[in-house]
Amino acid sequence: MAIFASDGRPLPQPTPTTQPFFDAAKKRKLRLQRCPRDGFFYYPRSRCPKCLGDDWTWQDTNGLGEIYSYTVDRIAHDPAFRAFAPFAVALVELDCGPRMTARIADCEVSDLRVGLPVEAHYEDVDDITLVSFRPRTA
Amino acid sequence: MSKNIRDKVAIVGVGACKFGENWDMSREDMIVEAAYEAYADAGIEDPQKQIEAVFCGAVYPNGGTGEVAEALKLFDRPISKLSNYCETGTDTFRYGVMCVAAGMYDTVLVVGFDKPKDRGVSGPSVSFDRVRGLPATPAGWFSLCAARYFQTFDAGREDLAKIAVKNHHNGTLAPKSMLKREITVDDVLNARIISWPFGLYDCAAQSDGAAAAVITRADLGRSFRDDPINVKAITIAVGANPQSDPNFDFLSWKPTQVAAKDAYRQAGITEPFRELDVCQVHDCFTLTEMLTYEDLGLCKKGEAKDFVASGVFELSGELPVNTDGGLKTFGHPTGATGVRMIYENTLQLRGQAGERQVKNAKLALSHNIGGAPQACGIAIIGHP
Ligand SMILES: [Zn+2]
Repeated sequence: MAIFASDGRPLPQPTPTTQPFFDAAKKRKLRLQRCPRDGFFYYPRSRCPKCLGDDWTWQDTNGLGEIYSYTVDRIAHDPAFRAFAPFAVALVELDCGPRMTARIADCEVSDLRVGLPVEAHYEDVDDITLVSFRPRTA
Repeated sequence: MSKNIRDKVAIVGVGACKFGENWDMSREDMIVEAAYEAYADAGIEDPQKQIEAVFCGAVYPNGGTGEVAEALKLFDRPISKLSNYCETGTDTFRYGVMCVAAGMYDTVLVVGFDKPKDRGVSGPSVSFDRVRGLPATPAGWFSLCAARYFQTFDAGREDLAKIAVKNHHNGTLAPKSMLKREITVDDVLNARIISWPFGLYDCAAQSDGAAAAVITRADLGRSFRDDPINVKAITIAVGANPQSDPNFDFLSWKPTQVAAKDAYRQAGITEPFRELDVCQVHDCFTLTEMLTYEDLGLCKKGEAKDFVASGVFELSGELPVNTDGGLKTFGHPTGATGVRMIYENTLQLRGQAGERQVKNAKLALSHNIGGAPQACGIAIIGHP
């Protein structure tokens, strides 16, 4: 069942598995699961996607990465996103390994490029914090 | 590893309704039109006696088998419905072929259909789920591959545009296609952007439609018509969702590579570009067709844009691809598409493709991918 933000956007609904990800995001940390054999993985799930082990732990990452690929949504299929269009959806390759699909914030569409260094960026929407990325400031 | 199916099953009848925005037809109307054309093509006069089982493929209706039974008045016999992403049509054909090859029935009907235009949206509503909070469409999913591909292989929108121009031209020569309009590379580049780098003409036309095939035991083929077409290979492969597979590189469709290897082995093909005479490949977006050339092994990774520029995949080229306009202009009623490709390849192999006929076509491949994308179906058919 979908829940909606006060601005109409559908919001992810934390589950017992994803709750630590959202709790960390609220504190401006990108925290991911790390398998002792295979390293970090994303999205949050109950078992490592490589070895299916469940002896992973939550660990903070540095939140840094670069754009691996991207597209630009100019239409906003969901009307609640029209206020944000055009917006970039990118695959971000994190320094710590995995790739995340996320929105790129604070960036002109014309400035997007493969390889652009980005950092995690946090947006509080009602009771939840969404993780996006933005060009590195430092 | 799959066992060999080569030359065990023959296609003896094919049919399709006109693809398009068929507001004046129900699903049943389209099914009847496609099936009765296939019956006539096969010389079937008494479907009640001659069609022993029906395999239907459709993505959007929840039910389907009763609908097909009612439409065709084929009761009291096995009717199954399958849904398997956008390769539903190819997989439905595969089930029919396997059933005949197994000796369960001599002659069966395969029918793919869908009527997405009634749903009021142009495409399945999909979203990046779980923790992302992002909306997306199929155009969004597939376009995510493009920036990386462009950067890695020095390609661009103009390379993709040539594929759209080719498929628009081919569609003008197919009587039952949805769009019949020549376009130029400039038209493609100047069209409004849907999901960068895909503009309007980079995206296939979702449409309503139905397509059907009558298949039988290979040794019975000539009792229906003197030019039966044999199935040489049929396979599918399902892989990881690119969005959840940390190792997916967004530069190739791995299930296509896996399915192609299996299909070529079944058909005894070692040099696909040289041995195949005509191909119908999944061109939901221009980039999909571009990557598919490479993943089918028609050229090496990164070479597709040079092959496209040389014109080898055009109707007059060495290996024509999407001779009827493909998903791009013939239309894409999801469940029907794979069966529509069997219809086109059968016409090509018989020499009945009119103005779009490929000379001396003896071996033809059809290919679908579906999901995020994560699944692929391939059929190879040819002269006995
Ligand atoms: Zn592991």
